[in-house]
Amino acid sequence: MSNHQKGAKASYIALIVFVLIWISGASALHRFTKETFAEFQAPALQIVSKGSDLARYWELKSRSNEELIAASRDLARINAALELRIHSMDDIRRENARLRENARYTSNSEFFTVVARVISRDSSSWWQKIIIRKGRNDGIRPGSPVVFSDRVIGRVSAVHLNVSEVDLVTSPTFRCTAFLIGDEKRRIVYVRGDAANSLSPSKAKVTAIPIDYNPPTGQPIKVLTTGLGGVFPSGLILGEVDGVIRMSTDDNYKVADLNPAKDLNMIEEVSVLVPQYPTANEILLAPSEKIKLEEFK
Amino acid sequence: MSIPWAWFFLILATYPWLFVSDLVSSTLASSGLNYFITGAALIAPCRRLKRWQAVLFAGCVGFMFEAYRPIPNGTVAISLVTLAILLGNYRSYLRTHLGMIQAAVVVNAGAAIIWFTAAAYQSEGQTDIYNAIYQAVIQGTLSGLMGLVIIMPLATTQNWIMDLIGVPSAQDLL
Repeated sequence: MSNHQKGAKASYIALIVFVLIWISGASALHRFTKETFAEFQAPALQIVSKGSDLARYWELKSRSNEELIAASRDLARINAALELRIHSMDDIRRENARLRENARYTSNSEFFTVVARVISRDSSSWWQKIIIRKGRNDGIRPGSPVVFSDRVIGRVSAVHLNVSEVDLVTSPTFRCTAFLIGDEKRRIVYVRGDAANSLSPSKAKVTAIPIDYNPPTGQPIKVLTTGLGGVFPSGLILGEVDGVIRMSTDDNYKVADLNPAKDLNMIEEVSVLVPQYPTANEILLAPSEKIKLEEFK
Repeated sequence: MSIPWAWFFLILATYPWLFVSDLVSSTLASSGLNYFITGAALIAPCRRLKRWQAVLFAGCVGFMFEAYRPIPNGTVAISLVTLAILLGNYRSYLRTHLGMIQAAVVVNAGAAIIWFTAAAYQSEGQTDIYNAIYQAVIQGTLSGLMGLVIIMPLATTQNWIMDLIGVPSAQDLL
């Protein structure tokens, strides 16, 4: 047997041994490998994203003074309108706090916001995700909702040191409960991402729509988050029902396609709503000594 | 005599290509397709590196591809390592340009179909089997075309690096 043949045989044996070790190996080994190679690539992703921000900065800097004056005037008007809304919100917030105090009802659904730039998008039939330029160092935690204004973009699926992965609303791993606009009984429906077809826009699905639901005529049917489950705050827009609402295959409920509220392939900046308190999921998964009781008080 | 770290230098030289393909995938994300070239990146190293070096190279580029993607851990890496061993054992077929191009198309399309199937297995997305096969064929065809287009410039870069660090040429190994 020649050296080449011996080497070939040895390489097949080594491969089989490696595959067996890998399959039977601890999940810590898998996580370590994934994390190592993700961190190896993170600086390149950051550099490209920051380079693109720099290009945008120089492009903006080349604008004429007239354009800047017009933009600042528009912004001042928008600011004035928003200030009015904030004042009215303050009144509502105070009233809400007073009622909660009277009812002795405390809620942990408070978030702090981390604004993050989108570094890259990744799409296939089996996943739709974006990578954002904020990570564990910025306080982002897995499972945090990701929004743009009052529209839902997705949910953080994995967090690395300085970057995070976000599963979009259209990704098959995305799940959320929702209300349909026009349903006076406010019955809960179910939104989930769906396997996408190549070369066509990806969509989510609204399922468990009650059979007697009558969509309002002449206006788009918006789908809003319920706030149940404590992941997403209530009232955020998930999207609009696209096309007709049809019966499910087992005739128990209706289903429809959902167009995301924002063009997910064009988005450049998002806000991550990080819960201020540990979520139910984190409490269940965390070792008991790590959860400080003071955090819940 | 090739230096022991040749595989690592080759990864550093190949990474920009892989990164640009990820950027292309990002820019064209609305197409729902992945512009995959990792399989084609194996061809030139498997012609010239020692078998164990080619295996390390294949494993690393495989793990890099799946680092940010919901593909079952190690699927791409193990597939590429297997393909690298096969290519290393039949490297006489890679002597000609035509052989390299054929290998790039087959390996790239084959690896793409493997990760696509593995991702489908893990995914919670629902679709009928015929549509899933149709989608796999589209992804596989695109990857084959990517292999065809990218192999020459990619192999030229990789060969240049291997010449620079003193890896013996493919003819010397035969």
